[in-house]
Amino acid sequence: MIALYNSKTWKLSSYLIALVLIVPVLVMLVGGVSASTQLFAHLWQTVLPSYIENTLLLAFWVVLLALFFGVFSAAIITQTNIVFKQQLRWLLLLPLAMPAYLVAYLYTDLFDYAGPVQRTLRATFGWQSPTDYWFFDIRTLPGAALMLALVLFPYIYMLTRGAFEQQDQNLIRASRLLGLTAKQSFFKVALPLARPAIAVSASLVLMETLADFATVQYFSVNTLTTAIYDTWLGYGDLGAANALASILMLLILFVVLAEQRSRAGLRHQSARPNLTRELIQLSFGQQLIASIFCWALVILGFLLPITLLIIMAVQYSDVAQLSVLFSTGLNSLKVSVFAATIAVVIALSLGLYQRLHKDKYRKIPQLISGFGYAVPGTVLAMAMLSTLGPLDHWINGLAEFLGFSAPGLILSGSLFAIVFALVVRFSAIANGTIASGIKQIPQSLDYAPATLGVNLIGSLTKVHLPILSPAILVAWLLVFVEAMKELPAVLLLRPFNFETLSSQIYQLISDEMLEQGALGAILIVLFGLLPIVLLNKSKEKV
Amino acid sequence: MTALLATQPSIEPITLLTIQQLSIIPQEKVIISTLDLSLDEGDILGLVGASGCGKTTLLNAIAGFSEPSKGQIVIDGNLISDSEHSVPAEQRQVGMIFQDYALFPHLTVKENIAFGLGKLGKAEQLEQIDHLLTLLKLNDYRDSYIHQLSGGQQQRVAIARALAPKPKLLLLDEPFSNIDARLRNELMVEIRQLLKQFKMTAIFVTHNKDEVFTFADKMAVMAQGRLLQLDAPSIVCQQPNSYQVADFLQLGSWLPCQVNSASAQSLLGDFDIDNHRDKQTGLVYLLVKPSKLQLNVLVDEQHNIANAQVEHISVTEQGYHYYLSSLDDPAKDKSLAFSKLSLYSDVALSFKQQVVVSIKAHDFLFFNKVTNP
Repeated sequence: MIALYNSKTWKLSSYLIALVLIVPVLVMLVGGVSASTQLFAHLWQTVLPSYIENTLLLAFWVVLLALFFGVFSAAIITQTNIVFKQQLRWLLLLPLAMPAYLVAYLYTDLFDYAGPVQRTLRATFGWQSPTDYWFFDIRTLPGAALMLALVLFPYIYMLTRGAFEQQDQNLIRASRLLGLTAKQSFFKVALPLARPAIAVSASLVLMETLADFATVQYFSVNTLTTAIYDTWLGYGDLGAANALASILMLLILFVVLAEQRSRAGLRHQSARPNLTRELIQLSFGQQLIASIFCWALVILGFLLPITLLIIMAVQYSDVAQLSVLFSTGLNSLKVSVFAATIAVVIALSLGLYQRLHKDKYRKIPQLISGFGYAVPGTVLAMAMLSTLGPLDHWINGLAEFLGFSAPGLILSGSLFAIVFALVVRFSAIANGTIASGIKQIPQSLDYAPATLGVNLIGSLTKVHLPILSPAILVAWLLVFVEAMKELPAVLLLRPFNFETLSSQIYQLISDEMLEQGALGAILIVLFGLLPIVLLNKSKEKV
Repeated sequence: MTALLATQPSIEPITLLTIQQLSIIPQEKVIISTLDLSLDEGDILGLVGASGCGKTTLLNAIAGFSEPSKGQIVIDGNLISDSEHSVPAEQRQVGMIFQDYALFPHLTVKENIAFGLGKLGKAEQLEQIDHLLTLLKLNDYRDSYIHQLSGGQQQRVAIARALAPKPKLLLLDEPFSNIDARLRNELMVEIRQLLKQFKMTAIFVTHNKDEVFTFADKMAVMAQGRLLQLDAPSIVCQQPNSYQVADFLQLGSWLPCQVNSASAQSLLGDFDIDNHRDKQTGLVYLLVKPSKLQLNVLVDEQHNIANAQVEHISVTEQGYHYYLSSLDDPAKDKSLAFSKLSLYSDVALSFKQQVVVSIKAHDFLFFNKVTNP
């Protein structure tokens, strides 16, 4: 069957949207590549090698730790007989709601020399100074890796658990009938079958790590993201910042390509996932260890930090804080509502274009618009600055030429830049959700309206959009929450005196005064819980 | 195989659909090749063929969901598609019942039926909906959602929805494939009566020949994008025009014969033929319907020499069904050997039992075997 519609306006606007979304990053890459070689040589001779080394080391440790946490917890939850499995099943997702920089701050507070843990130890054992005892230093690269892994491992846990649960139970049964024990079957059949899911989730963790800014900045671990930030805000050197951002972009590109290669040809789908599963029976001791492992992850990744935040909020909250919270919250809300709405409209337009338009290359606009998720916020901010800045100058020049007063930085110095960056970054989320919603509409429903004499507009308004409304709602919420949480892009792009919830909390963390913003931090965590609840719900429905 | 033959009205039939020289060649792969077809108003045409033969594509071309490369389609005197222009699907007044019914999951039964009635006033809409709900016995479900209905009820809704805008032509894509085999025949008879009551011209696609024999006034057999035969089912059944048609419809089994001007030679004996019509000579295949085979159980080797043996036995409601093969005889021509001759009999035979089989005299149908072109 052919697609039904051939609207030229639709085609033009789809390609235009895709183009607008990708142009800033292209401009930045061109700027980065054409930055003076002298400058680059200077960077290479001084700081760049150590920045790259730190970035790669951090990525390595985070992925390793997150794999250890994620795969083991997923295996324990799906394959063994520990108690409280039903509760742990969703509790293990909660750390995802916790921004890594919050955990970093809270644990530093807790485990520092001046923190309660070391104070108590000193008081108990009568130690006088740091020379009397050894205590781990959390503000290091391994410390940052642990913080990131503690909140990122749920990606691996979630996808791996899903893979285990979707596996064809007859494969496991066949393995048992061929003489393997439940434990052997797990290692020989279930785990190898889950490899694609593990690879995908590990690459997600890797990308999030490469994009992290606040945690490493707080721990003074110099990586590429912090270098971009410092080069731009510290030295105002756009060319150098662009060059650094381009290197980070290449790293990300490498991850994306590697992930796609590892996935090629590895699809294990099952028609019989819901048969009752034969569990691996652990001994009491083993059960104890497995339970402690899972509970430790939940406690360290979520329960302890949120408790610390709540204690802070109870101790330090006052009316003045509430009013600041209200104004910054309103700013966050404004930015996020715009971003979510625009991203969803774009996703709908491009998703339906791909489904219904006759254009031979109709997949391309959606494909292009989804690349932004791989772009770290810092890089994206540089892209916006390199594109919108010159555009602003051009507009001002034009205005003066025409005899009007110069409007100022109306694009790069306003909410426009932030919203634009957020839309580029999170379009992929809206796209994915909307596209999977569209995929669930049987193809025959595209054709049925025409056989009843109803045209494209009627078909869209009476069939496609109403059927898609749950997907639209979920897509909107997911983008909204991500936009609320996004930090580096907002930090670099916000207009003077404009604070969002996340930027304000980051400022307070930098100034070691999170107590002042504990309520806001709790709010961010609560928003972060929203997509987890949604994801869990949609998983359970299946 | 029950053939329901419509009594032709005495008045001159009006041609509703004419397809001329239709070709569909997307990306250089021929799906439909220079196909001609015409259908009279009120007739039900069954389009049958193996999967991939192009029958669904033909249906989509008529509906406006496939772009013809060549040829034209005329419905009720209006040119709806030729190489220059194509009327959009929603303006063709062609209704369709999809294989999966394509009912809108977010609308109730009533709203589904009303979907194509936007141009009518509220009162007219309600009247039309009520009429169809009653006719299709869906009155109790008017406010139900689709997922609350059984498969058979869903199909009724699909039919009501398609009939509501009063299309000139109704297309049905494998309409009975999702229906439980036990209910299928009953439902086919019922829907046929309904379509006749609406004097609806319809084309339905299926790969099941029995559905055509029950449901259609005309049948069209397709293979590899071509129309092989278009006739009343009874005629196709009695006078298939090619090896492919007879073979696809499994009208009988094949007996290789060496034919000359007046007689045919086979491993089941020689017989006289009237060869003035087909003028075929050489190795051809005789279409043997089970009823034309005569079984003689071997009693005495002196008088009857066995010419076949039992290869497979299955039990059917019409007695035993045997597959017979020829005996290995080095003296005989190898090209005349057969392996799967179908025979029905009440006589119980055993595996590998040798028997004597002969062919009753009848209007023999010989075909040249067509292997995939």
